[in-house]
Amino acid sequence: MKESQHNTTDFGYKTVDREAKASMVADVFHSVAAKYDIMNDLMSFGIHRLWKRQAIACAGVRKGHRVLDLAGGTGDLTAKFSQLVGDTGQVILGDINDSMLKVGRDKLRDLGLVSNIEYVQMNAEALPFPDNSVDVITIAFGLRNVTDKDAALRSMYRILKPGGRLLVLEFSKTDNEALSKLYDFYSFNILPNMGKLVANDSESYRYLAESIRMHPDQETLKGMMEDAGFEQATYQNMTGGIVALHRGFKY
Amino acid sequence: MLTTLACAAIENALNLLLNKEPSLKQALEQVKHQTLAVEIRDWHTTYALIFTGKQFMLFNNYQEQAKCKISAHLETLPKLKDPSVMTQLIRLDKLDLEGDLHLAQAYSGAFAKLDIDWAEHLSAYIGDGPAQFIAEKSQQTITSLSKNTTTFADTFTQLMQNELKVAIHPLELQQFKQHTRAIKQHAAQLEQRIEQLLNR
Repeated sequence: MKESQHNTTDFGYKTVDREAKASMVADVFHSVAAKYDIMNDLMSFGIHRLWKRQAIACAGVRKGHRVLDLAGGTGDLTAKFSQLVGDTGQVILGDINDSMLKVGRDKLRDLGLVSNIEYVQMNAEALPFPDNSVDVITIAFGLRNVTDKDAALRSMYRILKPGGRLLVLEFSKTDNEALSKLYDFYSFNILPNMGKLVANDSESYRYLAESIRMHPDQETLKGMMEDAGFEQATYQNMTGGIVALHRGFKY
Repeated sequence: MLTTLACAAIENALNLLLNKEPSLKQALEQVKHQTLAVEIRDWHTTYALIFTGKQFMLFNNYQEQAKCKISAHLETLPKLKDPSVMTQLIRLDKLDLEGDLHLAQAYSGAFAKLDIDWAEHLSAYIGDGPAQFIAEKSQQTITSLSKNTTTFADTFTQLMQNELKVAIHPLELQQFKQHTRAIKQHAAQLEQRIEQLLNR
C-alpha cells in the first residue's frame, strides 16, 4: 500500500503528512459531531439505518459478549449491541474523536442505556486492550479515516478472541456505471451544499466524498483483512455496492 | 434492502405492541436473550426474533445459531398461535422444529394470550366515543369477513367436488373409446351384410 511505503498519506484527494492526517480527520469530525445524526439521515435518505441493521444481524452478538464498536461515533450500533449483550456482557464505544464520543454518550444516556457501555477514546491503530479479549469488533464508516489501515486491522486481529469476528461496514465501489455517475454527481455537487446548508460546513462533506473514492475497493479490503490474519473473509454489497459489509474471523 | 425495510417495520410494530401490552413482556421474561429463528419456506429466508427484556429485535437473512429454529410455510405460521397443534403440524410435515421446543411454545403462548383492547389504546388519540365506535365496527367487519371467507371456501369446495363428478376419469375415456371402436366395427359389418343382400 502507498500508505505504508511513504511518509505521506491521502486526506481525501490531497496528499498530507501521515502525522497530520489524524488531526485533520479529527477537525472534520469536531466540526460535524453536533449535526452528525441528522446529516446521516439526510445524506443517505435514512438508508444508513438499514445498512447498520444488516451489520448487526451479521455480527452474531449474543448475551454475555464483549463487543467493541470502533469509530462508533454517535453510538447507533452500540445502542443495539447494548441490549443484545445484556447485563452480563459489555459494549465498548471507541472513537478517536472526543466530540463524537460526547455526542454518543449523551444520546445513549438519553435512551437509558448506561449499565453495560464503556466509552473509550482510542486510536484504531493501537487498540488499548489485551490480546484475545473481545468477541466481536465492528467498525462502521470509520476505517477509511484511519491513517494506517493495515496496522488497524492487525490491531483488531490481536485483540479478538479465537472464534471472534470483525465486521467492516464502509462505503465502497459500485459496478453499475449509471449508478456510479449518479452517485458521483450527488457526492460532489449536492452533498457539500447540503453540508453547507445544514451543518454550515461544506469542506467536511467534500472530504467525505473524496475519502470514499480513495478507500480501497471490496476485493482490496478483503485482501487486506486476509493479510492481517483474518480467515473466511467475505463481503456483501449493499445498495449496488455503494456500501459493502466485510466480515472476517479469527480462529 | 426492501426485505430489511419490511423487517424494520415489523420490528417497530412488535415494539409498539410490547409497549401497549405489558403482559407480553411478562410472558416472555423467561426467554429473553434467546434467539428464535423462523425459516419461511415460501421465501427461502430465515428471520430471527430476539426479546431483549426491553424490546424485540428482528433480523432477516439470519445465518447464526439459534436456540430454536422453526421452518414452515407462510400459511402454517398463524396456526402456531395454538401451542397444542405444534406436534400435529410436525407429524403432517408442515412444520420443522430444531432446538428448544419450549422457546417456540413460549412465544406462541405469549402471542395467543394477547387480548388487545384497541378501543382503550385508540381513545388516547380520538376520544372514548369514536374509539369505541371504530373498534366495534372493525370487530364486526373482521367477523363478517371471516364468515364470508368460510362460506366462500365451503361453496368453492362443494363446487369443485361437483365438478369432479362431471369430469370423466381417464379409464372411463378409454372404455368409451373401445365401445366407439366396437360400434364402428359392427356398423361396418352391418353395411357389408346389407350390401351383400342387395347384390343378390
